[in-house]
Amino acid sequence: MIELISKLEKLSLELVQKQDYLYKVEVKKEQLESLLLSFLNEFGYITLDSINCRDDLEEGNFVITYCLLTPKRDHVVMVQTSIERENASLPSIHTFWPQAEIMEREMHEMFGVDFPGHPTLIDFALEYWDNIPPLRRDFDTLQYVNDMNPFRGQRDDALDAKVEMKKKREAKKAAKLKAEQEAAAKAELETQNNPSQEVQNEE
Amino acid sequence: MMESGFHGCDLDDSLKCKLEESGTQNTHSVMEKAAAWFRSRSIFVVAYGTGCGAIEMPPTFTSRYDAERMGVVGVATPRQADLIILSGYLAYKTLRRVIRTYEQMQKPKYIITLGSCPINGGMYWDSYNTIKKLDDYLPVDVSVVGCMPRPEAVIDGFSLLQKRIKNGEKAGWEKYDENLDFYKKNQKRVLGNHVDPSYETDWYNLENGSEV
Repeated sequence: MIELISKLEKLSLELVQKQDYLYKVEVKKEQLESLLLSFLNEFGYITLDSINCRDDLEEGNFVITYCLLTPKRDHVVMVQTSIERENASLPSIHTFWPQAEIMEREMHEMFGVDFPGHPTLIDFALEYWDNIPPLRRDFDTLQYVNDMNPFRGQRDDALDAKVEMKKKREAKKAAKLKAEQEAAAKAELETQNNPSQEVQNEE
Repeated sequence: MMESGFHGCDLDDSLKCKLEESGTQNTHSVMEKAAAWFRSRSIFVVAYGTGCGAIEMPPTFTSRYDAERMGVVGVATPRQADLIILSGYLAYKTLRRVIRTYEQMQKPKYIITLGSCPINGGMYWDSYNTIKKLDDYLPVDVSVVGCMPRPEAVIDGFSLLQKRIKNGEKAGWEKYDENLDFYKKNQKRVLGNHVDPSYETDWYNLENGSEV
């Protein structure tokens, strides 16, 4: 790790430790390709784990993170760069890591990031999508869903839950009131009967 | 068990009436009745595993629940099948393939759906890529509810379908033929003009009912 830090210092880059196994290095877009290549060939990070994209709508840029691993698998280095949201484009790194091809293809579909030189930048999970890419934050998913797939209406014989619950509550109340009245009447009868019983007992 | 209903859909009244006639019997002669009885006892199934419900099909068709004792047998291709089981949510991409598969099947043909997703979207109700009401796009004969339905419920769905076939009730494919405009309009609404060529009419080259 100390070696890596000194090597990055030569390129005037700083390695920040985020967690005990997680390190981050931020880099400009122009420097990205050469840095990733030296990570692969010089520093021994032969595995590209994932490419992630974060949409910072307020600041108007995408934050792209490349997660790299050594064969030891004991720590992850995140190479992070930020690009402008408008006409976003990145150099394709499918020649370094073959698995990057499909990751970049997915990012192109979900965020609309362009990768010049990418061999198969075609539909991935969606087909014939002509709207804003769906994982961009300015894409209103709920609005789109309500326009395209409205909810099923209720059944013709469906009852209104509010009205039914009110009816139920009133019926319960009435039953309770009736029970109370009956109990009161019963108690009254008993108080009327009791003195006479006592009299009878005394006799 | 829920019958596939058209309640609450935004249908024209005339169309709604047509669809609700499904209870009428249309087997009259003895031969038709006999054919319906035989048909109900040999349902060949193409199991199209969309979504998580596909996991319920191996126990249904193998020795534990053994749907073959009811005459329900799996087949390899849609052209051999009478029944297609759609077992879960349908993305637009899947729907395109399902429509194509359904139109390749020979008549008479039936659809059973499993789970709540084909009925109302289920837990994928707010997905940008999943349809909510399958019966807008294809005629569903029996919807087995549950998330997911157990094999017992799936077999109950089979027996309900068999009962309907035996009674000669109007099936989904007849509704599909009669209301093709309605179904194709809905399919075009979500899939655009990229629906695969139909095997029933030359819809691919039609625009607003007239040839371009």
